[in-house]
Amino acid sequence: MSLLEIRDLHVRFGATAAVRGADIVVERGETHCIVGESGCGKSVTSLAVMGLLAKGAQRRAGRMAFDGIDLQPMSERQLSRLRGDRMAMIFQEPMTSLNPAYTVGSQMAEVRTRHKGGSRRAALERAEELLAKVGITAPGLRLGQFPHQLSGGLRQRVMIAMALMNDPELLIADEPTTALDVTIQAQILRLLAQLQSELGLGLMLITHDLGVVARVATRVSVMYAGQVVESAPTAELFANPQHPYTRGLLDCLPVPGKLPPGSQLGTIPGMVPKLTEDFRGCGFRSRCGFAQPACENEIPLTGDNHLCRCVLAQ
Amino acid sequence: MTPAIEIRNLSKRFHVKQGLFGKPREVRAVDGIDLALPEGATLGIVGESGCGKSTLAKLILGLLAPSEGEVRVAGQSLMALGRRERAKLIQPVFQDPFSSLNPRRRVLDVVAMPLVAQGGLSSAEIRAQSLAMLERVGISAEMAGRYPAQLSGGQRQRVAIARALVLRPRILLCDEPTSALDVSVQAQILNLLAELRRDLGITTLFISHNLAVVEHVADEVAVMYLGRFVERAPAAELFAAPRHPYTRALLASVLTPEPGLGVPDVGLGDTMPDPSNVPTGCRFHPRCPVAIPRCSTEAPPLVGGAECHLLAP
Repeated sequence: MSLLEIRDLHVRFGATAAVRGADIVVERGETHCIVGESGCGKSVTSLAVMGLLAKGAQRRAGRMAFDGIDLQPMSERQLSRLRGDRMAMIFQEPMTSLNPAYTVGSQMAEVRTRHKGGSRRAALERAEELLAKVGITAPGLRLGQFPHQLSGGLRQRVMIAMALMNDPELLIADEPTTALDVTIQAQILRLLAQLQSELGLGLMLITHDLGVVARVATRVSVMYAGQVVESAPTAELFANPQHPYTRGLLDCLPVPGKLPPGSQLGTIPGMVPKLTEDFRGCGFRSRCGFAQPACENEIPLTGDNHLCRCVLAQ
Repeated sequence: MTPAIEIRNLSKRFHVKQGLFGKPREVRAVDGIDLALPEGATLGIVGESGCGKSTLAKLILGLLAPSEGEVRVAGQSLMALGRRERAKLIQPVFQDPFSSLNPRRRVLDVVAMPLVAQGGLSSAEIRAQSLAMLERVGISAEMAGRYPAQLSGGQRQRVAIARALVLRPRILLCDEPTSALDVSVQAQILNLLAELRRDLGITTLFISHNLAVVEHVADEVAVMYLGRFVERAPAAELFAAPRHPYTRALLASVLTPEPGLGVPDVGLGDTMPDPSNVPTGCRFHPRCPVAIPRCSTEAPPLVGGAECHLLAP
């Protein structure tokens, strides 16, 4: 049984379709990266799994299950018991996701006592242990500090430690290193990869950065205009991209050593279409060099291990 | 030949108050920078947050007065020039095209503003020149009548570039011009900037934290750390054979899209650089994986473009 199974997820905000066909399966011990540009629906997908969508959003899915438990009929109360416990989440901006009015220690301890009970002292001990585990020096001292007293890299480490308080099985990280400097990004990603293999976590990592994807992912799903358009094991996706969007995206990247400096980068002309509720078919067709009339129909995600949503792949 | 831009011993210090009764602390944002850039060159300036790269940008634009030293553009001291004169020589493109364009003005008026401010042109000429520049950056006359909010991020950045170039400045200063954009749009903007630089022969300063982008656009690269250039070299040389340990760590942290390589250990530890508390000796020594005792007491010598004790003979 897969740790997380999402089939045919749709999310609408009023007349706008944010997600219109996301299929994502996360196995235990694997890092599944969701990659795409702004507005492609990658963050909304993760929020839908956690039941954290804004009021007024309409969600429907063929299946949405965590460890075989169907998430769809769950009440807010049942979900909140799971969240922060067996499934945890890390957000992009650690400053806004930590409470500025409480110390690091009390925020971390609350996560533990709320789900697992036990004494506050035991929870604080656990917090100190985890802060050390994520590479924070003088963890005892940090427990008494407020978020504003920490640097961005430290705050993100605190977020990771906090997410691990209850030994989650699934960790969803939404752009966890985007707000950080490159040297800190490398440290945090290294830490995540290390924790993931040590604790056997299923990690769903959402990012726009193909460099991050290449280095940490076991499997990659590419999203465009609300749909997963391609999904494959990492090496396979980079070596043999199938969908015209994935190929275009890889051509846009300046890669040191691969492309002579000053040469033209590949570009994807045009813009993402407006996703009204009656939008059907491939969202990339208006920018695609291979578009044909059949692209206006709904296209299924096909393939065995290397999945692609394109008429050319049928 | 006079360099297009020349900077001598440029420093900027800020005094930051610590709490209500605390003694103000001195932040050395830019600390003794020298630079001479020939006409038509592109210098990439890389560094992490807090290294002073944006303060340097403001000093070069004349938006801040230096505490020490001076900036000379085309042989003239920037501080001695009036705003209009300065605007004709040097123009910026900022990171965020959402906040750097006036939302209440149409695109055409945004681009025409520098020409209007300079005076001396008829409104028909201003209109013609503005439209020509917009077309040059790929914005049609039809789009010129819209408001910034009606454009995409990439189009807005094109408008910002047109506004910067409409006075035909000698120098273009780009401060993180593509950081807020998606990769497919980033590629379009980088291609456009390269084309314009080639056609118009503009000297460019390109500030970015993205080393892959800098390698792609720059002839020469300066690596900034806590207010100083710790290494400066031709781009090809710097990327092929970085000398300073900080440059090496920065390059090691670049995650190229090559699967299977994993995430490298950059070995910098978790002490953060603090511009209000610049370390003695070499400012990088608390994080340096190869520091020797001398590094914490003596200022490092400049050897082959890099400031490092280990490079000294």
